[in-house]
Amino acid sequence: MPVAWATLKRNWLVMQRAYPWTYFIGTLAPGVFTVVLALLSYEAIGGGRVSDWFRGASGTPDYLGYVTVGAAALMFTTRMVLWVAKAQITEQREGTLESQLLTPARRLPYLLGVSLQAFLTSLLELTCLFGTALLLGVRLPAPDPVTLAAGVLAALVAVVGLSIPVSAIMIAAGEAHITQNTLFCLIGLVCGFTFPPALLPAPLTWLGELLPATSALRVLRAASLHAAPLGEVAADLLLCLGLGVAYAAVGLLFLPHAERRAVIRGASA
Amino acid sequence: MRHALRVIAAEALKQHRRSFGRPLVVASMLLWPVLQLAATYYTMLPVLDTPGIASRWPDAAQPARLLAFLAAGAFAYLFYFSLVQSAWHFSFERISGTIELLFLSPASRLALVFANGTGALVQNTWLAGCFAVAAASAGGALHVAHPGMYAVAALALVVPAIVWGAFLNSLLVFSRDSAFLYTLLDDPLWFVSGVRLPLFAMPLAIKAVGLAFPLTSSLIVLRGALLDAQPLSALLEPLALLTGLCALLFAATAALLRLGEARAQRTGSMQLY
Amino acid sequence: MTRAIVTHDLVKVYPRRDRPWWRPAGKRPPAAPAVDGLSLTIPAGQVTGLLGLNGAGKTTTIRMLSTLLRPTTGSATVDGLDLVRDAREIRRRINMIAGGERMVYARLTARENLWYFGQLYDVPRARLTARIDELLALVGLSHAADQRVEQFSKGMRQRLSIARGLINEPSYLLLDEPTLGLDAPIARDLRAVVAELARGGVGVLLTSHYLAEVEQLCAEVHVIAAGRLVARGTPAELTALTERQHTVEITLAAAGASADQAVQALAARTGAQVTADTDEQLRPRYVLRHRHDLAGDLATTVVAAGGAIVRLEVTPPTLEDAILALADGARQPEAVAA
Repeated sequence: MPVAWATLKRNWLVMQRAYPWTYFIGTLAPGVFTVVLALLSYEAIGGGRVSDWFRGASGTPDYLGYVTVGAAALMFTTRMVLWVAKAQITEQREGTLESQLLTPARRLPYLLGVSLQAFLTSLLELTCLFGTALLLGVRLPAPDPVTLAAGVLAALVAVVGLSIPVSAIMIAAGEAHITQNTLFCLIGLVCGFTFPPALLPAPLTWLGELLPATSALRVLRAASLHAAPLGEVAADLLLCLGLGVAYAAVGLLFLPHAERRAVIRGASA
Repeated sequence: MRHALRVIAAEALKQHRRSFGRPLVVASMLLWPVLQLAATYYTMLPVLDTPGIASRWPDAAQPARLLAFLAAGAFAYLFYFSLVQSAWHFSFERISGTIELLFLSPASRLALVFANGTGALVQNTWLAGCFAVAAASAGGALHVAHPGMYAVAALALVVPAIVWGAFLNSLLVFSRDSAFLYTLLDDPLWFVSGVRLPLFAMPLAIKAVGLAFPLTSSLIVLRGALLDAQPLSALLEPLALLTGLCALLFAATAALLRLGEARAQRTGSMQLY
Repeated sequence: MTRAIVTHDLVKVYPRRDRPWWRPAGKRPPAAPAVDGLSLTIPAGQVTGLLGLNGAGKTTTIRMLSTLLRPTTGSATVDGLDLVRDAREIRRRINMIAGGERMVYARLTARENLWYFGQLYDVPRARLTARIDELLALVGLSHAADQRVEQFSKGMRQRLSIARGLINEPSYLLLDEPTLGLDAPIARDLRAVVAELARGGVGVLLTSHYLAEVEQLCAEVHVIAAGRLVARGTPAELTALTERQHTVEITLAAAGASADQAVQALAARTGAQVTADTDEQLRPRYVLRHRHDLAGDLATTVVAAGGAIVRLEVTPPTLEDAILALADGARQPEAVAA
C-alpha cells in the first residue's frame, strides 16, 4: 500500500498548506442553516411539536435530532464527494493527471489514500457542525458506540464507492460543477437526510434505496438517536456495504475508459 | 446614452452566445431549484400538522399554499442567484485576461456591469420564469388584487436584482477571489431573506440583517402581491425600502468602479488575474 | 531479442468532438488520422529524433508510446512487451518528459514531489532517498529542494519535471520538446544528461524545435508529416537527401561591367539561380543558389575579371531546410486530395 500511504501523506501536506476554506464554509453553511431552519420552524411554526405521523415515518419523535444527524451526514457526504470524486479532475486541471497515469501505480490505492485523508479531515469538520448544533440547543442522546462506529464505516464505504463512478464521469466529461451539484441536490432529496423518505412518491423512494447513503443514514440514526445494538441494523449495514462495493466496482471498471477520454481531450485541445 | 445602450446590447449578445442552451443554465436554473424546493417542502411538513397551526401561520394550513409560498421564495432567490452566478462568470474574464480588454475600451464601466447583470438575468431566468408562470397558473395559487400588481411584482423583482448584479460585478474589480461570492452569498442569502421561512419565525437580529438585502423586500412584495392579493397601499413600506436600497447600491457600484479602476491602474492588479 | 521500442503501422484517429451530443451525426467526413501508419524503431542506447512541423503527429506518437493514448490500430512493443496488453509493466520501464512546467504538484516541495512519484513508481525505499538527491543535483535544484514548487520560476519547475521523468531510472525516455523555454545553460546541461543516458544504454526518443539540439544528439532522425514517416536517416543524410541549395552571397567594392558579365556567365554555365542588387552602401551584391557550393569558382571568376570582393558568405543547406522540404513534399498530395 505504498501508493495509498504516499497519496494520503501528499494530500495531508497540501491540505495543511492550502486548506480549502471556501469548500469548508460552503459545506458547513448548508448544514448549519439546515439545523437552524429546522429549529426555527420547530419552535415558531410547529409550536415546539411535530405531527403525530412523523414518529411512525421516521422511527423517532425527535425532529431536531433527526434533522441534525441528517445534516451532519449530508455534510459528510458532500465533503467526501468533493475530495474523492474531484481528486482526479483536480489533477487534470492542475496538469498532473498525466504524470499520474504515466506511473505503474493502480487507481484503487490512490483513491483510498485520497479517501483516508478526506475521512480524517471530514471527521474534524463534523465536530464543528455538532459543536454549532450544541450551541444552538440541540441535544442528542448517548449513542451505541459499536453501532455508530459500524455506521460511520459503512457510510465511508458507501460514499467512497459512490465517488468512484462520479470521478469517472467528471474526468470523461471534463466538468465537475454540474455533476457535483446535481448529485448533491438529488441525494438531498431522495436519501432522507432531512425528512423521512416515506413522504416521497414511490419511484423516488426506490431511487433512494439504490443509493447507499440511504441505508447508511438509517444505521447512523439508529445508532445515534436510539442506541440500537448492532444486530438490529445488520440488514441495513450489509445493504449499504454491498451497494458501496458495487458502485466502486462499476467505477473502477469505467475509470480506465474515462482516463483515456480525458487524455484524448487534453491532446486534441 | 446611445453608447451605453450599444454596450448593453453587445454584452447581452455575448452572454447569449456563451450561455444559451448550455447544460449549466438548465441545471442551475431549473433542475437544482426544483429538487431543492421539494426537499425544503418535505423537511417542513412534519412541523405543519401540529395543533394550532392555523393561528400561528395560516398559509401552512393548506399544503398547496405552503408550496406556493416556498416556490415564490425559490423563484425570487433564483433571480438573485443567477446574478451571483453571472458575477462568478465575470470573474473568469478576469482570469482569462479579457477584463483588461473591456477596460481598455471607452465603454462606460457602469454600463458594462449593468449590461452584464441584465444580460445574465434575461439569459438565465426566462426558462425558470416560463416554468413558474405555467406552474402558478396551473396550480391556481395566484391571488391578485388588481392586474397592475403583476407589473409591481415584476418590477420589484427585476430592478433590484439587476442593481444587485451590477454591485456584485463591481466588487470583482477589486478582488480576484470569486469563490467568496458563492460561499458568502449563496446559503446565507436564502437564510436571512426569508426564502424558506416566513419572517415571523425568525429572531429579530436575523430579520434586521435580512432587511439589508434587497431580496428580502422583493420577496415581501412578490408574495404579498401575487399570493395574498394585497393592494399597492399595503406594500408601500417594502417598496420604499427597496427604492432606497437600490439607490444606495447604485451609488456604491459607481463609487466602487471608480475606486477599483484607479487602484488597478496604480497597482497593475488587474492583469495579475 | 534486441532491446528497442518497435512500432508497426501505428494509427491514431481522435474521435470527432465538434458535434453536440444531441445532434445526429450528419454526413461529416471522418476525422483525419493524427498518426497514420507509423513504423519506427527506437533502439536502446541511442537518441532517436522525431521531427516534423506542428500537427505532424509527434506528440500523439509520444503519448501513444508512453501508454497515455491507445493506438486506434497497429501495434507497438517495448522490449517485446505489448503496448496495450502489458501497459503496466511498460510504465515501469519508460518515462516521459514534456516541455512546459505543468507536471508536478505546486503545493509540494521539490523533494516531496520526487518522493511521491518515487512511491508511485515503486522505487525501492533504500534507493529512493539517494536517488532524489542525485536527481536534484543533476537538475541544479539542490538548493531549492525543500522549497515549495509554487515559489519556483518556470525554468525551475521544468527542471523538476525533468527530475520526475528520471525518478524510475527508465530504460526508455520519451522527450517531447524538453528544452522548451529553458535557459541556455540549463538546456545545455540537459543535452549533456541525455547524451550520457544514451551512452549508458537508455533509449531516447526526442522531439524538439531546436534543430541544433537534434543534430547534436540524435544518431538517427525520423521525419514525419501528416502522421506519416517521410524520411529517416542521420541528420547529415537527411540534409543531403533534400538537395537543398547552397546560397553564396558576394558583395563587390564597386560596380564594374566586366565583373558583372563574369558572374552572369558563371551562373549561365552552371545553371545557378542568380539575383543582383545593391547593399545599404549601394555596392553591387549577387546571390547565387546552386546544389553545389560555388563560392570558390565565383571568387576566382570575379577576381579574374578585375573585381574586388568586400564580402563573401556561404550558407549551406540545414536540417531545417530538409524538414521544411520534406514536410512540404508530403503535404502537397494532401492538399490535392482535400
